[in-house]
Amino acid sequence: MGNKQTVFTHEQLEEYQVGVGVSPELAQLVWDAGSQESPQSLVCDIRLSVWVWSDWRGKRRDNPEASWFLSPQDCTFFTRKEIMRLFYRYQDLAPQLVPLDYTTCPEVKVPYELISSMPELKDNPFRQRIAQVFSQDGDGHMTLENFLDMFSVMSEMAPRDLKAYYAFKIYDFNNDDYICAWDLEQTVTRLTRGELSAEEVTLVCEKVLDEADSDHDGRLSLEDFQNMILRAPDFLSTFHIRI
Amino acid sequence: MLGAAMLLFWLPLVGAGATDKPTQESVPLGEPPPGLALFRWQWHEVEAPYLVALWILVASLAKIVFHLSRKVTSLVPESCLLILLGLVLGGIVLAVAKKAEYQLEPGTFFLFLLPPIVLDSGYFMPSRLFFDNLGAILTYAVVGTLWNAFTTGVALWGLQQAGLVAPRVQAGLLDFLLFGSLISAVDPVAVLAVFEEVHVNETLFIIVFGESLLNDAVTVVLYKVCNSFVEMGSANVQATDYLKGIASLFVVSLGGAAVGLVFAFLLALTTRFTKRVRIIEPLLVFLLAYAAYLTAEMASLSAILAVTMCGLGCKKYVEANISHKSRTAVKYTMKTLASCAETVIFMLLGISAVDSSKWAWDSGLVLGTLFFILFFRALGVVLQTWVLNQFRLVPLDKIDQVVMSYGGLRGAVAFALVILLDRTKVPAKDYFVATTIVVVFFTVIVQGLTIKPLVKWLRVKRSDHHKPTLNQELHEHTFDHILAAVEDVVGHHGYHYWRDRWEQFDKKYLSQLLMRRSAYRIRDQIWDVYYRLNIRDAISFVDQGGHVLSSTGLTLPSMPSRNSVAETSVTNLLRESGSGACLDLQVIDTVRSGRDREDAVMHHLLCGGLYKPRRRYKASCGRHFISEDAQERQDKEVFQQNMKRRLESFKSTKHNICFTKSKPRPRKTGHKKKDGVANPEATNGKPPRDLGFQDTGAVILTVESEEEEESDSSETEKEDDEGIIFVARATSEVLQEGKVSGSLEVCPSPRIIPPSPTCAEKELPWKSGQGDLAVYVSSETTKIVPVDMQTGWNQSISSLESLASPPCTQPPTLTRLPPHPLGMEETQVPLDMSSDPRSSFAFPPSLAKAGRSRSESSADIPQQQELQPLMGHKDHTHLSPGTANSHWCIQFNRGGRL
Repeated sequence: MGNKQTVFTHEQLEEYQVGVGVSPELAQLVWDAGSQESPQSLVCDIRLSVWVWSDWRGKRRDNPEASWFLSPQDCTFFTRKEIMRLFYRYQDLAPQLVPLDYTTCPEVKVPYELISSMPELKDNPFRQRIAQVFSQDGDGHMTLENFLDMFSVMSEMAPRDLKAYYAFKIYDFNNDDYICAWDLEQTVTRLTRGELSAEEVTLVCEKVLDEADSDHDGRLSLEDFQNMILRAPDFLSTFHIRI
Repeated sequence: MLGAAMLLFWLPLVGAGATDKPTQESVPLGEPPPGLALFRWQWHEVEAPYLVALWILVASLAKIVFHLSRKVTSLVPESCLLILLGLVLGGIVLAVAKKAEYQLEPGTFFLFLLPPIVLDSGYFMPSRLFFDNLGAILTYAVVGTLWNAFTTGVALWGLQQAGLVAPRVQAGLLDFLLFGSLISAVDPVAVLAVFEEVHVNETLFIIVFGESLLNDAVTVVLYKVCNSFVEMGSANVQATDYLKGIASLFVVSLGGAAVGLVFAFLLALTTRFTKRVRIIEPLLVFLLAYAAYLTAEMASLSAILAVTMCGLGCKKYVEANISHKSRTAVKYTMKTLASCAETVIFMLLGISAVDSSKWAWDSGLVLGTLFFILFFRALGVVLQTWVLNQFRLVPLDKIDQVVMSYGGLRGAVAFALVILLDRTKVPAKDYFVATTIVVVFFTVIVQGLTIKPLVKWLRVKRSDHHKPTLNQELHEHTFDHILAAVEDVVGHHGYHYWRDRWEQFDKKYLSQLLMRRSAYRIRDQIWDVYYRLNIRDAISFVDQGGHVLSSTGLTLPSMPSRNSVAETSVTNLLRESGSGACLDLQVIDTVRSGRDREDAVMHHLLCGGLYKPRRRYKASCGRHFISEDAQERQDKEVFQQNMKRRLESFKSTKHNICFTKSKPRPRKTGHKKKDGVANPEATNGKPPRDLGFQDTGAVILTVESEEEEESDSSETEKEDDEGIIFVARATSEVLQEGKVSGSLEVCPSPRIIPPSPTCAEKELPWKSGQGDLAVYVSSETTKIVPVDMQTGWNQSISSLESLASPPCTQPPTLTRLPPHPLGMEETQVPLDMSSDPRSSFAFPPSLAKAGRSRSESSADIPQQQELQPLMGHKDHTHLSPGTANSHWCIQFNRGGRL
């Protein structure tokens, strides 16, 4: 990759690069400031801040002038070097589609078919789901930002709640912000590769719901999910990769 | 208690001391006749095993005594107590026999006492945790041990050069290195004994314990290399020898691991074929693991590593292959042996220390060694952790490091190795022995005593014994996949990538090869956890005084029968041999029908068992309600919920039941029955549900096709079905049988005319008479009740069966009905067979049950067959089984009406 040139402008790279450890709270602060609200109204609900964080990019897109402050950090928890490495990897996914020159902010998406056709991913039951969750339109086609996002969530610097939130999203197949029996059935079926019969899957799902459902509404909210996941020690802490 | 222990302890002593007395005693009894002695005392013939047995007995009794007081054991680790007991016993032996008698012999230790402990720890090692931390474990085991050995050795040598060690300790640098190598290794036995009581968090435990297991290779190599260097004399050691020493490190460690893995493979492969000889399964596990140990020892490889790898490698497959009972047997035997060996080791360690002839004291050496091993251990841990934390996802914090440094206990391995030294080659052996004993005692007693308060004081993260939940299992798997996927996308071949690769390889090849087909099929971990959770619920229910049998039957998911279905499934074999598409359909359907069948069984079990015990349970609940603690109540709640839900699910699938009950089950059943009678245990391996879609197909074919074919097939079937005894029959059937057979003389054998309940009755057996339910339940549930619960069940069944079987001295058969419509519904008597004698072949006993509806609907058979593949297909593809099967129900109703 030595002779690849002009990948980003300096500003663009700054944009992707983070002050390592920018927390969702900070992101919210930024957002509050950008939307002309008082920074004192910082809600300390971590969960909310996660939401805000994940909405951050959307807000920025819709509301460009909100990004005047702190030259919109994307809260990727990466250094410049890592971003470059990830970019090369992204470019490798579809060399003919992704230009090396990103100065003009091209609207490029790597289609899902390319990702899912990777031989390593062939057997992975969650490849589609991951692509869907992290792609901005839920169609599995990934932009560079989505791509960075994905690894950002998996990075060690990402806070636990953020990880939990994305794990939750991956489970939430029908995107209704609750893990219901149907979602779980999807998961279990994928995990067992169809080795359990429908009945067995149902039994298992009932049990899973039963275990984690603290408010007994027959489905898991994000809160239920977080409670349950945080109960297990070192559980989310292993939910990351080193790039 | 202690007195009893003492008494027992004296026995061998007295025996040993008075070995010639018995002969004198026995002579007076019969002085002249040497031929016949009334009483002979043959101490010498039994001496060795007798002593061994007595030692173990003393150790066990001591354990009991220690545990009489909860306070003592909560403060003092058992290993300390045992060592102290050993000291006391050794003192007594010394006082009585005037010489130190019983020692911890290195040969005994390495060949008999160590293997059980290592096997136990390897077999029950949490493999996932182990491999997650493999990097850290290997670093500490290899680098840490090398570091400890060299620094301790060199520092002691420096101490000697500085004149702090008495000059009578004649040792050079090599001697000290040798000593350093044997004293530096953390001992698995000691670590296990102490850490098991401390309950630090799993990561910390696995790192310390894994290190103590894996450093054996390094210890062995270092010890051997140093030993041979010492024997050669430092002048003769050449550069190539050092290289050889380094190379041997790899040979010994990798060789040991390879031996272990080979034996693990063999073990897994062997257990795959033990279906008919379940009884030797536990034996095989121990034999092959021990063989691995001995083989590695023989090839002077790392035996500990071999056994660890063997246990670690084989567990997954062995557990899947062997029966439930064998699993329990393996578990208990292994734990018993390990605990026994551990106890004896510590006691003998104490006793050995008494023998003052073997050791010589030098304060400088002893204190220096103590200081150095503690200091360098701590230093080594800090340095290595610093390096490791650069790479670890979850860094080890300071507190962890303190515990790791402090937990570096030395034990019996060091002692055995130092005893093995050759006094002529190592003149300072006696000093080394003394130092080793002091070090071992210090680490086990002082550190063992203080580590618990230390852990408490430092607030080390303890392991919380939360029960494994289904959620955890589910998320673990999901996260694994997600992480692997993300790693794949980035093209970064990290840990998750390799684990994913390995799992796929395992799934594709290894499991296929090493697991029974059935076991392989059910080897789904999520289901496994679900199953175990249910068992737990069941057990907790039973503990609360519920009805044992019914509750187990209830809470059991269909796991055992899943197992057995595939195990005996002929259809699977057929499928392998590449049968046609139609067959395949049926095969697929077989599994379904099997499930449904079992549901039916469960259903009957429910009616037979559920309501009564629940009533009973309520009563008992009223009695004990106050005494129950929160946990129990919670369990109960969970269980009740489970039951309720399952009951509902059964109700919703009642149509299935109706359908499957009416399936004929030729061939298989006779076989099954034989097994069932001869060996009730075997029922576990035998399917409680029918597998015979093939068979169904055959029957169908005959009906559809020409008469010759029919007769042919019926004849063969008759042969097949010879010797069938009724497995399960309603008592009412038995009663009816006499009348019916009397009325149908033409029929060669008594026919069973079931009382033909209505469809609803079949679905909801509680609607019909209560009489037949009992038998239904009893006969079939044996197969789904877990093996260890079966005894009671079997007893109750045998009484019922003895009731049921006498009338049918001849194999009871059910006459096949000719394919013309009969209005049988009112009469309940199948067609007279005289018109078609060929077709009077025997139906299997299971059909006797199923035949109730079959007899009604037989007219409809051709139609049914045409539909069958189709329906089977539909049934399979349908997501909701209830809807698919309701077709069947309709089908049957129609048949009945015809």
